[in-house]
Amino acid sequence: MRRVHTALLTIIAVVGCAGLQACKKSEPASTTAPIQTAPLPNGAHAIPAAAASPADDGNWVMPGKDYAGTRYSALNQITPANVSKLALSFTFSTATTKGYEAPPLVVNGTMYLITPYPNLLYALDLTKPGAPTKWVFKPKPLAASQGVACCDVVNRGAVYDAGKIFFNTLDGQTFAVDANTGQQVWSTQLGDIQKGETITMAPLVAGGKVLVGDSGGEMGVRGWIAALDEGSGKLAWRAFNTGPDKDVLIGPRFKPFYPMDQGKDLGVKTWPPDAWKIGGGTVWGWLSYDPETKLIYYGVGNPGPWNPDQRPGANKWTTGVFARDINTGEAVWYYQTTPHDLFDHDDINEIILADIPWGNGRRPVMFRPARAGFFYVQDRRTGQVLSAAPYGFVNAYKGVDLKTGEIIPNDDKNPKQGRVTRDICPAAPGLKDWNPSAFSPQTGLVYIPHNNLCMDFGAMEANYIAGTPYVGADVKMYAGPGGNRGAFTAWDPLNRRKVWEIKEDLPVWSPALATAGGLVFYGTMDGWFKAVDARTGKLLWQFKAGSGIIGQPISYRGPDGRQYIAVVAGVGGWAGAVVVGKMDTRDPTGALGFANAVKDLPMKTTAGGMLYVFTLPR
Amino acid sequence: MSSRFRASVLAFAMAALTLGACDREEHHDRAKPLGETVPAGQSPDTIWPGGSSPSPLDPRAKLYDNNAPAIAEGQQLFSQMNCVGCHSHGGGGMGPALMDDEWRYGGRIDQIAASIAEGRPNGMPAWKTKLTSDQIWKLAAYVRSLSGLPSKDAVSSRSEGMSSGTPQTLVSHGNIKNSDTAEQ
Amino acid sequence: MTIRSIVRVGLAPLLLGACQYQHYQSDFGAAAVEDRQFLALFWIFMGVCGFMYALVIVFLIAGVVRSRRAADANVVETGRHHQSSPLMRSTLIGWTALIGVGLAGLAIASFFADRSMARAATGEKLSITVTGNQWWWDVSYDSDDASKTMRTANELHLPVGVPTRIILKSADVIHSFWVPSLNGKQDLIPGRQNDITIVPRKIGIFRGQCAEFCGTQHARMSLVVIVEPYRDFIQWWDHQLQPAPAPTTPLTLAGYQYVTSGACGACHNIGGTPASGTVGPDLTHLASRRSLAAGTMPMSEGNLYGWVEDPQSLKPGVKMPTIGLEPDQLHAVVAYLETLK
Repeated sequence: MRRVHTALLTIIAVVGCAGLQACKKSEPASTTAPIQTAPLPNGAHAIPAAAASPADDGNWVMPGKDYAGTRYSALNQITPANVSKLALSFTFSTATTKGYEAPPLVVNGTMYLITPYPNLLYALDLTKPGAPTKWVFKPKPLAASQGVACCDVVNRGAVYDAGKIFFNTLDGQTFAVDANTGQQVWSTQLGDIQKGETITMAPLVAGGKVLVGDSGGEMGVRGWIAALDEGSGKLAWRAFNTGPDKDVLIGPRFKPFYPMDQGKDLGVKTWPPDAWKIGGGTVWGWLSYDPETKLIYYGVGNPGPWNPDQRPGANKWTTGVFARDINTGEAVWYYQTTPHDLFDHDDINEIILADIPWGNGRRPVMFRPARAGFFYVQDRRTGQVLSAAPYGFVNAYKGVDLKTGEIIPNDDKNPKQGRVTRDICPAAPGLKDWNPSAFSPQTGLVYIPHNNLCMDFGAMEANYIAGTPYVGADVKMYAGPGGNRGAFTAWDPLNRRKVWEIKEDLPVWSPALATAGGLVFYGTMDGWFKAVDARTGKLLWQFKAGSGIIGQPISYRGPDGRQYIAVVAGVGGWAGAVVVGKMDTRDPTGALGFANAVKDLPMKTTAGGMLYVFTLPR
Repeated sequence: MSSRFRASVLAFAMAALTLGACDREEHHDRAKPLGETVPAGQSPDTIWPGGSSPSPLDPRAKLYDNNAPAIAEGQQLFSQMNCVGCHSHGGGGMGPALMDDEWRYGGRIDQIAASIAEGRPNGMPAWKTKLTSDQIWKLAAYVRSLSGLPSKDAVSSRSEGMSSGTPQTLVSHGNIKNSDTAEQ
Repeated sequence: MTIRSIVRVGLAPLLLGACQYQHYQSDFGAAAVEDRQFLALFWIFMGVCGFMYALVIVFLIAGVVRSRRAADANVVETGRHHQSSPLMRSTLIGWTALIGVGLAGLAIASFFADRSMARAATGEKLSITVTGNQWWWDVSYDSDDASKTMRTANELHLPVGVPTRIILKSADVIHSFWVPSLNGKQDLIPGRQNDITIVPRKIGIFRGQCAEFCGTQHARMSLVVIVEPYRDFIQWWDHQLQPAPAPTTPLTLAGYQYVTSGACGACHNIGGTPASGTVGPDLTHLASRRSLAAGTMPMSEGNLYGWVEDPQSLKPGVKMPTIGLEPDQLHAVVAYLETLK
């Protein structure tokens, strides 16, 4: 009797425990906050903002293709029917082997390539067979700047405008080079590497201004955006992203939509004394521009240090989006995506300007697949959030309250100084990092190349010494639910759902390209350059490049009238630091935690810097 | 010899042996007087023209190399001075990995101390105005321990990292190899 | 030597000693509500236990005296059960009852003391975070308004009568926070957050001490607690929020330049200057503090000179290195530090 008793009790205990475990394991699905959109007519798509996306002339003059950031080419010679015949036309070695994140530029028969440090600018003559080099411009940035660049010595692109090529160098200079001759027109020193500042972003050139922002949120810099005069290179205005209102260029025109962003001198009041001077808020990502309203839109990077206990307060104006007047720099509105950011969820991702069906007409909005894991659709006149739905697995936040605009944190995942918080999704690079998505007006879908990573985060006190990292965190990243570390998702921004998704073993760190031919192109970190059907996601063609692909693919019309697809393959960036930095993967906290996530990458790819240009055979 | 006498001689001998074995390591807290500088180390891969030979190891090296208090203090300085931010816990990142067997600028303790003090091209900051030479030698001792070079009784036998990696005493490492010459 | 004189000689130093520490660093200081509860409990225990002790001594002496006098006293013989006298039985019962009542009384007193100490802990108006480091105290005053948070070191100012919650953390090893006049001990454990609540009742200056061995300089890790009226406290807090004053003389300017460009800024923070290190004590208002190096020495110009020049001889093993400044540099640095009021 006793034995039966014990056996019964044991069974009940085991079943009970298993049941409890099952209850614990199933994470509650992250909820979508209630939506307040008007009912939409069937079949209506979003379209890119008209003024910001002129007709395609077959060139590629800026990294985003146009001011709306669509990364969409209207060329349609290459279609799902013939893409299987796509073949290599020519190649070019850039003679650098660091992470290559920039797109090639094509302007009327000349291709321009800007490399990572040492930031060489090549001009290739596309009219001649094999595209020989016309000239090389060597800006010779300071070698010591490599020591203060957090995430590989990358460069996210150059811009062509009015006969000049504009680009930034790692040691904080902006250059204007004559597009024909390769001679320097002007250069301006904006950043100071002794403070830990570098510049990696691609400038935006519009309205006679060259807009440049700094990098260094992990080095305790103060973030800013500056406008240089396009002709002379002189500083027209500079707006900081922390500090008193006069430094942030907040004036009478400033009207943030939500109460949480309203107040005087919030850039000082929401920080401990003096912490805003070393508080980050850099501008290292993408800018968009609306020529109609003359407003630039850009996201602000993370506050410093990563350890949140050292900077109580909302830490304005970091991890948010600003709209500014391009001529004066004065702020028009601001929205803070993650007040008092806890997980390095910079908000610098691309901002795609679109017009969506609204009632009887259209509403001017912006699409933002943010690092925090939500796909934001916001009115670009006011910053009001119309919807914020997660486009992957998120457990660090519970959603976005559309009434107050505030993100709802999950307090279980709060990092605390002296302790390790585990299983935070998305990890520090976010659900998607800087690598931009593409928007196709044909399908109305946004093609998002992104991550599926979670992390353990251990916060500790960070010491500030100018020119050295100011982080205060040990991080270890690993694959999220499902085991795949990356994914390529086709997202319907109006219906807020995934249409199709391709799971990838490695994080997808490459930007996307969409074409009118009905194709979407992207690359993987182990070097596969893929063409998939824009409507169904079916893989139609792929090519194994010599190195992982993290650079923007482009499409252009060559001098012979044919459509070309070009991309530079050179693995690196934060995700590829394991390869490029020849790191030792026995330390899982290497590269701010990325080493643990991609321990196998050195076996799958090696460093490189090769341009590949494809076209259909005649 | 009476057994009593033998016993006391034995006791005395054992006491002497035991006391002699207690070789406490010197805990160096004070820097040497003013004017001390960290010597310029030599890269291990250098041509010495005309048949000259490299200078011998700096005499201060043996005060810090294989010295457990120095390695422990170096570990604390390593995170306080933000070395962790660039080199992580030996794996590298912005800076090269310190736990492998490739040393660009030399892996001898005086060469490491020189690299820390003077800075190096391609981004290593110069610390001689911010740290005393005593602190720099302690850091160099700790950096050597990241690649398992000091003896096992001097390094920490507990891994202090958040992910509970393998302690230094259990990981086997090779000898110093020549510097990596392929860097630009 | 009579017994009296021996007693006098023996007790006098004790009494003198108690007087000396009466209000500065004494468990009998009764300067805070917690300490008063503790003191009340202490005297109850002393009283009850003392009374019982006296009883035991009386019975012991009585037993010794009686056995000397009567040969056939009530002795229990071995091997034979001896019927005890009624007097003995009632005395035993009475004694057991007395013990029961005494212990119960002590337990009840202890319970009430503990409950009232806990009750005083509700409704804290002020929150301070104290982080223990080897071998100094990092004090941070918290506030809902982030721009009013303030950081200082080795000195605590408390407003009288205001319940204050002190959150205790450690940056390296286990320490223990103990201000005898105000509260009991509470450990600072790395990776954990402890807290205590203090409601100071007496205005004055008190001394605290690290009470858990934490390394070679554990003995020199003390802190000063100043309890003052609320208005003075707010004034002090506002003053601590001010950045360091700019140098006005060539000597202090030279000191400022050395401090911000040399080794000092790598560890120390001086508000309003480029020196923003966090691993050492905040120096923004160093000269306004009463002691130097966590209570090792009182604050004075001479001690500043000695400390800045060679901390390792004053507090061997401390994390601040002996840099070896030139005399000119030393004059300049100390002149600048003295302006940090």
